[in-house]
Amino acid sequence: MGFQRGKGLIQLFHVSKLYPGGQAALSDLTFEIGRGQFVFLTGASGAGKTTLLRLIFREEVPSSGQILVNGRNVASIPQRKIPYLRRTMGVVFQDFRLIARKTVFENVSYLPRILGVDLRGRKKLAYHALRRVGLAHRMSSFPPELSGGEQQRVAIARALINEPDILIADEPTGNLDPDLAREILRLFLLVNQRGTTVLLATHDREMIQRVGGRVLTLDRGQLATDREVVGTEKPELRLGDEDDLGEEVRAEGSAKDVKDGKDGVEEEGEAGGGLEEVGGERVDA
Amino acid sequence: MSFLQALRSFFRDAAVNLVRGWKVSLVAVLTIAVSLFLSGVFLLASRNLARSVERWQREARVVVYLTPQATAEELAVWARRAAAERWVQTVHPVDPRQAQERFRSIFPSLADLVTAGSEEPLPASLEIEVRPAARGSREQLSALASWRRAPGVTLIDDDREWLAQVQGLVAVIRGVGLVLGLVLLGAAVFTIGSVIRLAAFLHSEEISILRLVGATEFYIRGPFYAEGLLQGTLGGLFAAGGLYGAWLLVRQRAGDALVPSLLAADFLAADQLAALVLLGTAAGLIGAITSLRGETLRSG
Repeated sequence: MGFQRGKGLIQLFHVSKLYPGGQAALSDLTFEIGRGQFVFLTGASGAGKTTLLRLIFREEVPSSGQILVNGRNVASIPQRKIPYLRRTMGVVFQDFRLIARKTVFENVSYLPRILGVDLRGRKKLAYHALRRVGLAHRMSSFPPELSGGEQQRVAIARALINEPDILIADEPTGNLDPDLAREILRLFLLVNQRGTTVLLATHDREMIQRVGGRVLTLDRGQLATDREVVGTEKPELRLGDEDDLGEEVRAEGSAKDVKDGKDGVEEEGEAGGGLEEVGGERVDA
Repeated sequence: MSFLQALRSFFRDAAVNLVRGWKVSLVAVLTIAVSLFLSGVFLLASRNLARSVERWQREARVVVYLTPQATAEELAVWARRAAAERWVQTVHPVDPRQAQERFRSIFPSLADLVTAGSEEPLPASLEIEVRPAARGSREQLSALASWRRAPGVTLIDDDREWLAQVQGLVAVIRGVGLVLGLVLLGAAVFTIGSVIRLAAFLHSEEISILRLVGATEFYIRGPFYAEGLLQGTLGGLFAAGGLYGAWLLVRQRAGDALVPSLLAADFLAADQLAALVLLGTAAGLIGAITSLRGETLRSG
């Protein structure tokens, strides 16, 4: 999680964003985030955190300056190429943004479906992504049946399903109680440990102090500080810890669900057997 | 995702949407069905009338009535004169006696009106069949004009004159059908557009997620286009089915009535029927495309 200048996966050069009426949301931001870094983006409400994230995943364009993601200037990407940029990123929001009438499997497997992955492949990918967040046994559940923490983990699984280079999270713990927030943060750290660059916007300074790492602080649209914070109780992480996430992760149950056809898939004809290769794996509770 | 895979996915999603929101979809389908049905009624009527006019035109003839005092020699002279014209195919002279016999056979109840020795016997006449290539030719028109002025001729009855009026009627029916069809089709396109816009609004959350995870506009809009296309096609099929049912009903109940049997003599040809359904398909697609133009989906 070291600070690796010069190997910027995300690079900003004098980026400003003015809203109609001349109000400056961001002003002359210059920094870079290296591949594999974990970066907190913090600041008071209205400091420009969300605007900055929206610029990076090209939901908005800067009024001036350049934003390079993987060496490509996102502002000059043609409209039709934006989807391809977004496929290299995973995005997580405070409000989860899950579709209540779709199963967890369907919610998670949007991108593989767009990419034309067949049902068997989608199940496999969804299973792996959900396993990483400890929810493989809830593939056939609907979001309203899940707790807030579980819903956020589903949203993270959706963001991770394509193994993105970058994971962007906008106040992902804002709707969660402290224990769940800690669990979600640990998940982000694990994702980062596997090589994904994580940019996490939060105004929870206590969480930042506890975990530590690189912290970018915005103040009224300007980069106030860019510093390393030493965490007070940095969690011990090891690869494979994803399997420990969640209160009741039952791999055998999830495999059984799939074998019983309870994978939440509406399509006919293709169902069945999608997890044969992974169904035998155990996830310890 | 291949194009075919995408199409399959679009139509599957569209079918699911149609079933889920069947009440709203039914309104759109019925609107387009009614507009196409009415357009089809006008098309059917004008088609049958036009075909009758064509047949009548083939059978059209010119009848030259001589004065009641015309002798058999004069009739023969006129017959020779007519036969000499290049636009004339055949000439059939009808003397007063033949005319009376024909009248009695056609109208037996009125036979007393034309009994021999009455004051106004039916005049001698010439029934002229016109060569198809010369119908309405300048030569024919100028000959008829000069005959009208000739002594010994009381009246020239040219079938082309009333057929022209019927053709005008056919054109009016077609025009009214076209205008009405366009207006109703416009309403149907608007209705389908509104239904698709509503569907897009109801799916706005999903659209925003699709956009977030990297779906292309083609992928996002495809299911809505497919939905409009399906609605339009269903409307076209309903209209075609309804039109056939109505045609059968009219045929059964028309009996010997002139107008219904004239307007519903034949059903639409297969290509016309296919065109009606395809018009529905196009209307549905246009409705979907226009409803999703610009920023409609961006709000999602």
